[in-house]
Amino acid sequence: MDELNDQGVELYSHHGVLVKSQNQIRDDDSHCSGTLSIIEYSGIGKCIEWKPTEVLVDSETNDQEWAMVNAVGRRNRTSSGSNESQSRCRSVRIEVAHLKSFRVTRNRQQVTLMERDGTTHSVFFFQHGNADCFVAALKGNIKTVRSKKDKHLYIVPDEPESQLDRSFAELELFTENTTDVVWKFVRNLHHRPYETTLETFAKLTDIWLFKSSEQRREEEVAELLNRSLTLNETSADAIGEEYAVVDLRNGPLLPPRPPAPRGPPLSIEQWAQFQDEDGHIVEVEILKDIIFRGGVVPNLRYEVWKFLLGYFPWDSTHADRQKLRKQKVEEYFQMKLQWRSITPGQEQRFSDYRERKSLVEKDVNRTDRTLPFFAGENNENLMLLSDILMTYVMYNFDLGYVQGMSDLLSPILCVMTNEVDAFWCFVGFMDKVCSNFELDQAGMKQQLQQLHCLLSVTLPDLSAYLEKHESGNMFFCFRWLLVLFKREFSYQDIMRLWEVLWTDLPCPNFHLLLCVAVLDTQQHILMENNYGFTEILKHINDLSLHIELDSTLSKAEGIYHQLTSAICLPDVARKIIGLDPLGGPDTLEQKEPLQTTDIDNGLKVEEGPESLETLTFSPRTGEVAFERSLNLNYL
Amino acid sequence: MAAPNFQGRHMRQPSKNTLLKVVILGDGGVGKSCLMNRFVSNHFDEHSFHTIGVEFLNKDIEINGEVYTLQIWDTAGQERFKSLRTPFYRGSDICLLTYAVDDRTSFRNLALWRNEFLYYADVKEGMTFPFLVVGNKVDVSSEQREVSCEEARAWCMENGNPPHVETSAKDATNVEQAFSLAVESWAHLEAKLDRPYIGDTVDLRRQQPEQRSSCCLSVGGNTE
Ligand SMILES: Nc1nc2c(ncn2[C@@H]2O[C@H](COP(=O)(O)OP(=O)(O)OP(=O)(O)O)[C@@H](O)[C@H]2O)c(=O)[nH]1
Ligand SMILES: [Mg+2]
Repeated sequence: MDELNDQGVELYSHHGVLVKSQNQIRDDDSHCSGTLSIIEYSGIGKCIEWKPTEVLVDSETNDQEWAMVNAVGRRNRTSSGSNESQSRCRSVRIEVAHLKSFRVTRNRQQVTLMERDGTTHSVFFFQHGNADCFVAALKGNIKTVRSKKDKHLYIVPDEPESQLDRSFAELELFTENTTDVVWKFVRNLHHRPYETTLETFAKLTDIWLFKSSEQRREEEVAELLNRSLTLNETSADAIGEEYAVVDLRNGPLLPPRPPAPRGPPLSIEQWAQFQDEDGHIVEVEILKDIIFRGGVVPNLRYEVWKFLLGYFPWDSTHADRQKLRKQKVEEYFQMKLQWRSITPGQEQRFSDYRERKSLVEKDVNRTDRTLPFFAGENNENLMLLSDILMTYVMYNFDLGYVQGMSDLLSPILCVMTNEVDAFWCFVGFMDKVCSNFELDQAGMKQQLQQLHCLLSVTLPDLSAYLEKHESGNMFFCFRWLLVLFKREFSYQDIMRLWEVLWTDLPCPNFHLLLCVAVLDTQQHILMENNYGFTEILKHINDLSLHIELDSTLSKAEGIYHQLTSAICLPDVARKIIGLDPLGGPDTLEQKEPLQTTDIDNGLKVEEGPESLETLTFSPRTGEVAFERSLNLNYL
Repeated sequence: MAAPNFQGRHMRQPSKNTLLKVVILGDGGVGKSCLMNRFVSNHFDEHSFHTIGVEFLNKDIEINGEVYTLQIWDTAGQERFKSLRTPFYRGSDICLLTYAVDDRTSFRNLALWRNEFLYYADVKEGMTFPFLVVGNKVDVSSEQREVSCEEARAWCMENGNPPHVETSAKDATNVEQAFSLAVESWAHLEAKLDRPYIGDTVDLRRQQPEQRSSCCLSVGGNTE
């Protein structure tokens, strides 16, 4: 099978290049070491290839994204025989012709390759030296342009001269050379103007139609998706305003982003200090702030999560909690008994129940199975996962079981390890996010709209770009939101992220700012690669397990500070992050004509009746343009 | 033995290839994502996650000397997410209707999937749209099998007679063949649409099942 180098000429190669696998491994850090080369084949042209030399399973260096591996010294720890590990490290081949751009980061030691169709390839890490040689070799073989906006990004420009010619030639519309056709057209025009024109243009039209059919298709899909994602508004004036909430492209609205340092996790000693002798948790706000800034140490999760998820009240005593727990144990088993005592006969006549049960079964078998906690056949924890979900169906039969719930339960069960506590913590979590799972998807739709709104004030360029590329509905963030980033981060990171989010600090909907932060990191890549609807979707899907948690959290908090100190943040955005509306609730009642407020730095706010606000800015006159036909149904 | 080992695609000049949009539909858990991954990267992950939202992968495939780029769309099977899945049907060239041979319900739902597709893809001529009916998980033991090949064939006969194939994403049985078959079926229909007056009036597609969708023929065999 390994015939990579057999044919073809090797133009360049570099040993000891690590690949962090793109598969959804969340429990260990497995990197494969291999050789990255550029090879020219007679058939398919130049290719970038990476071929594994061995598989390293490295768990000691968990907290580093890239383990520095001395391939020789640790040979004993390799598991190249294992089928599963091997499968994570498949060879990679990218045709140079498909390359759209690449990004060089981490002291020039890391390279990410992106293809024209939106595929992002495994990130390559150069353990020995850096990627300079590789990049130089690449540049020797293709034309690249360094992005002006993102200095790490190198773009392979489309070849404009040949683009049209190639389309003509490859479509084989004209048997002759394209230039000849044009000349013939000109010559014949004198003799048979009408026929000549028609004939030639018929062919040309074919091309335009052909060229645009792919795009038309995307537009249609996006249009239908927009409709699906539109909230069923009752008021007519809200229609059409869902996505075009704010347009601030003309001017900077936000102050510079302040740094927001992360902190150490809550320690066992600290936690003890926050409890009085009866067990009341004191100074909860300070405590939450610590958790927001750094999470909690893993050993404390078992205890602290119960408070964060509302299972235990902060102001309860040890005694209260003991009593509460006893009660909750009883209540749980009562509900569990309800479904456990359904007889096979009953089940047969109870299709709603059967359906839910089958859904749970199917998903449980596919939830975090690479994690040791859930691995193997007949795993007992898997049974617990299933029992808790079935009991939740009895607890909330109307909602039932919806795909995604097993993802939310898994880390909780892993921390709690017992059925009852895991169940009640899960209930607490579901209370926070159950609108994601509603039948009409209204919760998801609303969040996508809110995200779009926050994006348009924070990253107006990107927001405008997305709109122009059929992506203003933010559907590509659907998975992020549905399971709160569960699929995007490693298991360790997701636990950290969730405990941070559960503090509800610094504002409501902070998770939306996290989305904005990720998009902030990606914005130049998306725009400079000129990605369209499908490529954007693909690029965002491919980000899974390649997002740095701490820097993203820090960025999201920075954005929060930017928004709170912005002078004229639109009310619709203010409300999402829990700020009082600027106009104040009174403005809506004062049925006054347009009033103009001058703010010292040249911003002009015009507020009208009926929540119609206009704010204008133009660089020349120093005005900010903000138009809004606000629908009042936002809350 | 062409090396299906690579994640990349195999042909130069991507713009030359005909791009075909393929959607894989079927109940949750029948193995849609596994089929796609087996086809695209020749890899099977027993413990892959269920799909949230939509995913797609591209893969080039060569059939009768012609290279096609398949853009394969995989969606979540659960009813709840229907409204977010159906927009992606628009503009499809090929539709794989998938069930698992060990899951009778998934087979019974084929008609629903077919109708959902026809409705939302806005296909005018349902009877001539290139569907392919795929019975996955053919590797399961005969005791676990709940849908026979004959039954599935019978269903196909009554529903526009699409080709039918039984596959296993797990052991790679018929997966490449399934996608090739789908493309051939597309190409065949396309040729007929392009040249309506050429050839005779016999519907060649109706002869296909005999030679092609012989699920019972290659069950348990390996891909070549
Ligand atoms: N025995 C066997 N199992 C398979 C095969 N293909 C898939 N599976 C298993 O069936 C389960 C479901 O496969 P998926 O590919 O996730 O199913 P899906 O149709 O994509 O499901 P949704 O994403 O929920 O719509 C997984 O646990 C796979 O391991 C197969 O050919 N044979
Ligand atoms: Mg799937």
